[in-house]
Amino acid sequence: MEQIENLAKQALQQIQECTQMKELNDLRVYYLGKKGPVQELMKNMKNLSPEERPIFGQQVNQLKGQIAETIEQKKEELAMKEMEEKIEKEKIDITLPGRKPVVGNMHPLNLITQELEDLFIGLGYQVIEGNDIVSDEYCFERANIPKDHPARDMQDSLYIDPNWLLRTHTTAIQMKVLEESAPNLPIKVVCPGKVYRRDDDDATHSHQFMQMEGLVIGEHVTLSDLKGTLEFMAKKLFGQDRQIRFRPSFFPFTEPSVEVDVSCHICNGKGCPTCKNTGWIEILGAGEVHPNVLKMAGYDPDKCSGFAFGVGIERVAMLKYGIDDIRHFYTDDLRFLDTFKRYE
Amino acid sequence: MRTSRKWLSQYMDISDLSIEEMAQKITDAGLEVEGIEHQSQGTNLVIGEVLECVDHPDSDHLHCTRVNVGNEILDIVCGAPNVQAGQKVIVAKAGAKLPGGEIKKGVIRGQESNGMICSLLELGVDPHLLTEEQKAGIEVLPEDAPVGNTDPLAYLGWDDEILDIGLTPNRNDCLASFNMAMEAGAILNRKVQLPSYKGASDCGTPTHLQVSSKTEKCPLFLGKVIGSITIKESPKWMKELLRASGMHSINNVVDISNIVMLETGQPMHFYDKDAIKNQEITVQDGFEEGYTALDGVTYALKPEDIVITNSGKPIGIAGIMGGDDSKILDTTKGLIIECAIFDHVSIRNTARRLNLATESSIRYQKGIEPLAAQKALDRAVQLLIEYADAKDIEETVQYGKTPYEPQTLTCTVDAINGRLGTDFTSEEVMDVFKRLQWDPKMEKDHFQVFIPSYRNDVEGMADLSEEVIRLIGYDRLPSTLPQMEMTEGKLNEKQRLMRYLRAYFTGQGLQDAMTYTLVSTKKKEDAILSVGDAIELASPMSEERRFIRTSILPSLLDVVSYNQARHIPDVNVFELSDVASKQETKTHGAFILSGKLQETRWAGYELPADFYTAKGLMEEILEHVGINSKRISFTENTMDTTHFHPYRSAQIKLGNETLGIIGEIHPKYAQECDCKGVILCEFDVDMLTEAKKSKIKYTPVSKYPSVQRDLAFVIDRSMPVQNVVDVIQKHGKLDKEMIIRNVEVFDVYQGEHVKENEKSVALSIVFQSDQKTLKEEEINTIYNAVIESIQKECNASLRS
Repeated sequence: MEQIENLAKQALQQIQECTQMKELNDLRVYYLGKKGPVQELMKNMKNLSPEERPIFGQQVNQLKGQIAETIEQKKEELAMKEMEEKIEKEKIDITLPGRKPVVGNMHPLNLITQELEDLFIGLGYQVIEGNDIVSDEYCFERANIPKDHPARDMQDSLYIDPNWLLRTHTTAIQMKVLEESAPNLPIKVVCPGKVYRRDDDDATHSHQFMQMEGLVIGEHVTLSDLKGTLEFMAKKLFGQDRQIRFRPSFFPFTEPSVEVDVSCHICNGKGCPTCKNTGWIEILGAGEVHPNVLKMAGYDPDKCSGFAFGVGIERVAMLKYGIDDIRHFYTDDLRFLDTFKRYE
Repeated sequence: MRTSRKWLSQYMDISDLSIEEMAQKITDAGLEVEGIEHQSQGTNLVIGEVLECVDHPDSDHLHCTRVNVGNEILDIVCGAPNVQAGQKVIVAKAGAKLPGGEIKKGVIRGQESNGMICSLLELGVDPHLLTEEQKAGIEVLPEDAPVGNTDPLAYLGWDDEILDIGLTPNRNDCLASFNMAMEAGAILNRKVQLPSYKGASDCGTPTHLQVSSKTEKCPLFLGKVIGSITIKESPKWMKELLRASGMHSINNVVDISNIVMLETGQPMHFYDKDAIKNQEITVQDGFEEGYTALDGVTYALKPEDIVITNSGKPIGIAGIMGGDDSKILDTTKGLIIECAIFDHVSIRNTARRLNLATESSIRYQKGIEPLAAQKALDRAVQLLIEYADAKDIEETVQYGKTPYEPQTLTCTVDAINGRLGTDFTSEEVMDVFKRLQWDPKMEKDHFQVFIPSYRNDVEGMADLSEEVIRLIGYDRLPSTLPQMEMTEGKLNEKQRLMRYLRAYFTGQGLQDAMTYTLVSTKKKEDAILSVGDAIELASPMSEERRFIRTSILPSLLDVVSYNQARHIPDVNVFELSDVASKQETKTHGAFILSGKLQETRWAGYELPADFYTAKGLMEEILEHVGINSKRISFTENTMDTTHFHPYRSAQIKLGNETLGIIGEIHPKYAQECDCKGVILCEFDVDMLTEAKKSKIKYTPVSKYPSVQRDLAFVIDRSMPVQNVVDVIQKHGKLDKEMIIRNVEVFDVYQGEHVKENEKSVALSIVFQSDQKTLKEEEINTIYNAVIESIQKECNASLRS
C-alpha cells in the first residue's frame, strides 16, 4: 500500500512539474505503459492474500485512473499555454492603415440636380429631359420671346443654323412638355439640363451651365402656390429656418414674373459677405406662366393657369458649398471633386 | 437709368422721403435700385471769404490764409495753387466729415490750421463732371456768394442725389424721365404734375422743308424748321439736370435736344439749317462708303445701315450719330429738327458693328413708345421758344404715320385674385390703378382701365395682376401649395439606369466628372465611338468651342492630363452625357482608368488600372443591369486602332451590335493627349436602356455536392483562352443537363519552361447536378471528353 502511495506521489509531482507536451507524453508512456511502474505493482498482487487482492487491484486501477486524468488535465493546460504563446506571437499593429476602398462620388452638379429631382418627385413631379439642340421656335417663339429680341440674334446665342441652336434655357424643355401634354391637365414636371450662352468663361460666367425648370399647370394654380412650393424647396435645400421673398422682375414667358431670394443660410439673415450684407440671396427666377405661352401650346388660358420656375444648378451649388469659381465644375480637379464625398 | 432726386422733385413732392426710403420702395416695386449716388458729400461746410493769403514761411507751395466764415475768422493753411485773397470759397471746418476723412485742427509746418478750403473733387464730385481747372484747385464761388451760408453744396447745385436704377426689358419706358416720374408717383403714392407742353409745336408758317424715306426702316419722320435761334449758355436748372444724368452742358440748343431726349425717351437731331441744301432730307439705306460723323471718326457704312441724306449725300447715321458738316455751332442761326422712328434691330446691328453706343442708339435699340416723337417735338419747340429765342417757326412736316391705337382693358377683381391667390378688395385694386393714373372705372363686377401709350408692355389681365401685386406689395402674397388631383412622381427607365450607372461607377472608385459639350476641331476629329458627323456652330466663340461633341472620351482625357500634370497618380473618372451629330443624339457613358483603381501600398494590395480591370467593370455592370452574359462578347477591335492600342483593345458587342469600345490608349495618341498609362472605354447608354433585360427569378440551389477538377495545358500563345472555355462548356452536358457549372481561369503563364510561342493555362472546372450526386465515373466521362476536345480543337497539350 505504501508503494502505491509513494508511486502516486512521485507520478503526480512529475506530471505537475512537466512543462512540455513531449515530456508529458513520455510520462504517460512511462507510467501507463505495459512495462511501467503501475503495471509493475500488479506483479506484487501474487504476494497478497485473496482478501487483499481485490482491494489492491482496485487501488492500482484508481492510481492508473488518477494519473491518466492528471495527464489529461495537464495536457489541456499545456495546450492552452501553447496557444496563448502562439496567439501572442500573432499580435498585429492595429494602428497601420486599413485597406481603405477608394470610392468615387457624384459630381456636385449631379448631386444638386438629384437632390432637387428627388425633392420634387416626392411632391408628385415627373422628371423630363430634352435635347441640348432645340429649334428657335421652342427656345424663343413659344416662350413669348419676340423675333427681334437680342437673344435671338445669331451673335448672341450659339446657333447652328438660322433655325437650330444650343438651348439658352431649360424653358425650351418646358415648351415641348406643354405642347405634348395639351390639352391634358394637370402638368407637374421638373426639367433639368445643360444650357449654353455666348459668354466668355471666367469666375462667374460659363458658356455652359445647368438649370432646372419646374412647371405646374392646373385649373387654378396661383402665384401663391408658387411661393409655397419654392418655400418648401428652399427649406429642403438650405435648411428648415429659411424664408423666401419675391421681388418683381421680368421674363417674357411669365406674368407676373419674380426674382426669388432666400434668407441667407450663412448669417441667418443678419448680413454677411455671402449675401452682400442684405440678409438675402437671389436664387432663381419664376412666375405665373404667360397666357400667350399657354395659348401657343394649345391650352385655353381662361380655363387653366400655372407657374414655372428656373433654378441655376451651379448657383445653388456655389451658395450651398461656398464655391468661388464656376470653372471648377468643368475642370474636374480630383481634389475639388473629392470634396463632395460626404453623405449629407 | 440714372434718376435724380432734383429731377423727380420737379414733378412731385418727395421732400419727406430720404433717398434710401425711396430706393427701397422703388426696388420693391420691380425697378431695382442698383446704387445710390450722392453727387457730393461733406458735413460742417460753410461759405467763406479769403481775407488774407500769404506764402507759408516754411514751404514752397503752401499758403497761410485767414478766412471769414461769417461768425468767426479762421486761420487755414491751404495748398491749392489758385487760392487768392478776396475769393469766396467752400470751407470745411474742424470736425467736418469729407469722403477722404475727418478735418481736424492742427499745425502744419509750424502754422496753425483750423479747417480746409475745398475743391469739388475733395467733396466727392465725379471727376468726369469737372473741368481740368476745377480738378486742379479749390472751387472759387461767384463774388456774390453769401458768406456764412452753411450749405455751400446746395448753393452751387451740387447737392443732388441719384438713384441708379436697373430696368427690366419690359420697362424701358422708364428711360424717359416723364415716364419714370409717373412710375415713381405710383410707387411712392404721390400726385404727379408733368409740365404742360402738348400742342406746342402746332404753330408755324408754311414750309419748304421736304422729308421722306426710301426705306421701310423709317416708319415716321417729323421735321420742322426753326428759322431763327440764339445760341447761348444754358440756364442753371438745365445744366444741373444734365449733370445728374452724367452729361455735359454744351449750349442751350444742344442741351435742349438732350434734355428732351431724357424727358421723353425720344432721341432727336438738330441740323444747322444753312447746312441742309434745298431744305430736303431723305432717309435711305444701301450706302457702302466711308462717312465722317461729328466725332471726327470715319465709319464704313454698309448697305443695311439706315442713313440720313441731303441731296443724295449722307448727313448722319440714323439714330446713332449726326454728321460733322451740319452740326450745331456757336454761329448757327437756324435749325431743322429731326424726330423720327427707326427700326431698332437695324440700329442695334449698325451700332454694334461700328462699336458706337450713343445715348441715342441705346434708346432706339431698347424701343421707344409710339407717341414719343410727337411729345418730343412739342417739348423741344416749347423749350426753344423759352430758352433759345426761337422765331420764324415753320409748320411741322410729317412722313409716315404714328403707329398707335389707344388701348383700354376690362377685367374683374376676381380674375386678378384668382391668378395671384390673394383676396384683395376692389378698393385696393382700384387704388393701384388710380396711383398709376390709368383712369380706372368700376362697373358692376368688372372694371376698365386706360393704358397709357408708353406702357405697351401691358396687354391683358396677367399684366394687370402684376401691377396690382407689385404696387400693393409681395409681402401680402400668401404661401400655399397647388390643390389638384394626385400625380405620380417618378423617373423613367433611362433616368433610373443613369442613376444606377452613376452609383455603380462611383462605388467602384471612379469619380463622376462633367466636361464641356463644345470642343475644338482636333477633339472633334479624335472622337471615339462617334455618333456621326459633328455639328459645327454657325459662329463659334473660339476655336476651342467650335463643334458639338460626338463622343465623350476626348474631353475626359483633358481631365486626366490636367490631374496627372498636378501629380495626382491615380485618375479614374467617368462621365455620362448626351452626344450629338447631324444624324442623331444619343447618351453615352465613358470612363478612363490610370494608375491604380485600388491600392494600399504597405500591404501590397492593388487593383491596377489595366485592360482587365476595365473589362471587369463593364462585364459586371452589364450583368447587373440584367443583360444575359451570353449576349455580351469582347471581340477584336477593328473599329478604331488610331486611338486604341491595336492589340490591347476590344469592341464590346451586344449580340451583333457594337455597344462600346474598350482598351489601352494608343501610345501615339497618349503622347498627343499628354496622358500616361491610360485605359479608355466609351459605350452607348441608349442601347443599354433599350436592350432586353431579364427579370430577377429565383432557381433553387442544388442540394447535391459539387466537385472541382483542375487542369493545365499548353496552347499556342495567340490562341484566345475563351476558345478553350467555349470548348469546355460545349462538352458539359450529362443526360441533357449542363453539369459544368463554372469554368475559372486561375493561371496563365508564359516564360521559362514554356516554349516561346506557347502559353500555359490552368483552369478549374466545377461539376454539379440538380438531380443527383454525381458519380466519379460520370464526372470522369465528361472530364475526359473535355480534355480530348481541347487537345483536338485547340491543339493543346495536357501538362502533368
